[in-house]
Amino acid sequence: MPINGRYDRNKKTLSDEDQSRLATSCVAIVGCGGLGGYIAEELARIGIGRLVLIDGDRLEASNLNRQIMATELNIGQWKVEAARDRLRSVNSEVQVDVIKEWFDEEKGPKLLLEADLVFDALDSLSARVILERVCHQLQLPLVFASIAGWFGQIGVSLPGDFSVLRLFGHGEKGVESSWGNPAFTPAVLASLSVAEGIKILIGRMPALRRAWLQVDLLTMEFDRFEIGDI
Amino acid sequence: MRVTVKLFATFRDGRFKVEERELPEGSKVMSVLEPLNIKPEEVAICLVNGQNVDEQHVLNDGDTIALFPPVGGG
Repeated sequence: MPINGRYDRNKKTLSDEDQSRLATSCVAIVGCGGLGGYIAEELARIGIGRLVLIDGDRLEASNLNRQIMATELNIGQWKVEAARDRLRSVNSEVQVDVIKEWFDEEKGPKLLLEADLVFDALDSLSARVILERVCHQLQLPLVFASIAGWFGQIGVSLPGDFSVLRLFGHGEKGVESSWGNPAFTPAVLASLSVAEGIKILIGRMPALRRAWLQVDLLTMEFDRFEIGDI
Repeated sequence: MRVTVKLFATFRDGRFKVEERELPEGSKVMSVLEPLNIKPEEVAICLVNGQNVDEQHVLNDGDTIALFPPVGGG
């Protein structure tokens, strides 16, 4: 439902032209857990026209510590459906499409076909590499983020870059398998991701192309590293 | 020769953020990892002076080595 004044506080960070660009944009979020949930929430609030949420998982009790879409009332529900229900009450002007499947190389191109921008909010290193490859085949920009404990990484991969391959090309699981994911880390990394993604959508240069930001919330250090050519 | 070792994320746990190390000439990244009890397969990224290298890379005096574990959660 259109509500007068909904986007008043987006000004003047976003111009009217920027706001209309966002309203006609389609953004895919691959993974709808800790990171993906917050990313979806922020994109709905800022006024993206269409969101495609992709996740083949259901909510469980261990998601309650950090996933904004998880409540005591929706345990067992598909994550993407729980997200859609919440987003509907946040901003019903946003079209939310839900895909209750895992992203893979075969169906990936079809799932991302109408997207203008993709967010990598996955939790498997190998799936992240596949997602980057599929995005580049489709000439789609990708914002990637990952978390473990107090720590995170975030960057931007445009067609022709191989940032994700360089960062996540080894192994299957990261140190999150032993360090877990507390509430604050996905919220921070999701917000950083959305800030970069919005710049891409409104035609500004993202700050973290061919680079990544290494986030340490224990020491509160944010270090930028460059990713050279392969 | 002297090198600077920088650790990131969980590698800092029980170790340090940044330290200098005295190494014999011709030492490889491997000889930095071993005393820290970090296996090569635990390292997602190893930068030497900002360039991506592997554990067989031969170090030079004054190098800065930055080591990152895989951070893959979502």
